[in-house]
Amino acid sequence: MHHILKITLKGIFRDRVFQGIMVTACAFLLIPGIASLSMRQVTELSLTLSLSLISFIMLLLSVFLGGTSLWKDIERRYTFSVLGLPLSRQSYLLGRFGGTALFVLLAAVVLGIAAFGVVLYSSTLYPSERPIVWSTMAICILIDALKYILLIAVAFLFSTVSTSFFLPVFGTIATFLAGGVTQQVYEYIHSAASKDLSPLVKQIATGLYYLLPNFGAFDLKVNAIYGLPVPVEGLLLTLAYFVVYAGILLSLSSAIFMRREMK
Amino acid sequence: MIKSVSAILACLLLYGILIIPFTHYLHNKPFVEKLGYVPSVAALKTIAANHKELVAASLVLKVLMYFGGLFDKSDGQITIPPDYMAMSRLLHGAVRLDPYNMDAYYFAQGFLTWDVKQFKIANELLDYGMKYRTWDWYLPFLAGFNSAFFLKDYAAASKYYQRAGELSGSDLSKLLAGRYMQESGQTELAMAYLTAMEKGERNPAVKKNYQIRLTAFREASRIEIARDRYLETQGALPSTVGQLVSEGLLLPPPRDPYGGQFYLEVDGKVATTSKYAFAGVKK
Repeated sequence: MHHILKITLKGIFRDRVFQGIMVTACAFLLIPGIASLSMRQVTELSLTLSLSLISFIMLLLSVFLGGTSLWKDIERRYTFSVLGLPLSRQSYLLGRFGGTALFVLLAAVVLGIAAFGVVLYSSTLYPSERPIVWSTMAICILIDALKYILLIAVAFLFSTVSTSFFLPVFGTIATFLAGGVTQQVYEYIHSAASKDLSPLVKQIATGLYYLLPNFGAFDLKVNAIYGLPVPVEGLLLTLAYFVVYAGILLSLSSAIFMRREMK
Repeated sequence: MIKSVSAILACLLLYGILIIPFTHYLHNKPFVEKLGYVPSVAALKTIAANHKELVAASLVLKVLMYFGGLFDKSDGQITIPPDYMAMSRLLHGAVRLDPYNMDAYYFAQGFLTWDVKQFKIANELLDYGMKYRTWDWYLPFLAGFNSAFFLKDYAAASKYYQRAGELSGSDLSKLLAGRYMQESGQTELAMAYLTAMEKGERNPAVKKNYQIRLTAFREASRIEIARDRYLETQGALPSTVGQLVSEGLLLPPPRDPYGGQFYLEVDGKVATTSKYAFAGVKK
């Protein structure tokens, strides 16, 4: 599994994905200029823009790396030669997933360092009324990276059942959008405003709420931007949710991939 | 090869011809069209996914750019009435996406009060912000000013200023809480407020807006001083501003930067036909 993980990482670097990230990261240079347009919260705006840029880059990485990694191997028939070696399908799948997840984590660290620099620069130009809590910012980026790792697991699950890249890519995007609003839908159907909704619709929505990943819990941007305290209990619950949900997705992916017929 | 090169050259030539009128069209596009329409907040919340703060910030910047554009094009004088309704809608949407966004509260306060006269809406928005920005003295400071100056609700104003004073530890809010809670100190109150706002402002369009308003109130203050001197010497209130000028108590004659005319109300209170806003001048 470790070999596959290393090969996956090497492959991503060989495909010049990292250079692509660095080019996109040039957008960080524009952030202090854009943030200076704010009247009362220059530092907060530079934090907002930096965190969103990191999040956007990680979204692209998880959708395209996660959605195409396995499919590409099957399409190019690499799996035939690799799986001919004394290596279980499960190890192969987990190695591929681990390599992709590690790359996203690495990208988060590199982009996070760039964001720290940008925010520090903006805060020296226009000092903020609110203190910048660097640890909250780091936690926010890390938790955001975990969200995208979870999304990679979703992409891998779609890849195990798909014969083209359409389902992994578009299915992952759809899951990302749905996972971002499930909490809002849940709150709506459990509020007085939804009293006219049929019980069946409410039950289906509740079922989907538990089935789909809840990405709302991974969003700590507002805490990082305005220096609000992060609830420790909530953070631990989110981490536990990540481990358990990723475990379910990966074990399901492994089970399907083990039985997948490859011709 | 020649065909390809000719095709590229032809396309580049056409682009060169097109780009000038195209840029000109976009540059002169009407302001209202530029502000545009945004989907409902519920839809935006869904589309924004986990980037609500970014979407909120972009809505605020859109309004700022629009307002700044109006000022730039008319050289510090607003000749085209801004679409205040759309501006308010966008800023209300922004704080529902990110209730911590200070720019939205601050900018909404600027136009909802002086220009649109929606004092209650302005204070409701500030009250909403106070629920989230619990550390911020600015919001109760602004709400206190609105209560005292526009709504004449001195009890509420005192409460807001008290809160602003507690949060900031600043003397200004405490001073305002006690000293200006009466009708007679209105011009002084406005000048103290506007001076504080103008000093802390970085956005050129908004700063200019405050400067113009401050000039208008300084002129009103000059008239008040001349009126009081007239009362002292003549034993009666003057009936017109012109009387003060002709008596040599008010030189040079006051000029309203909003294009209105200053006048004295029956009780001697100084007022202007512009109501301290460009929109207040009837053309």
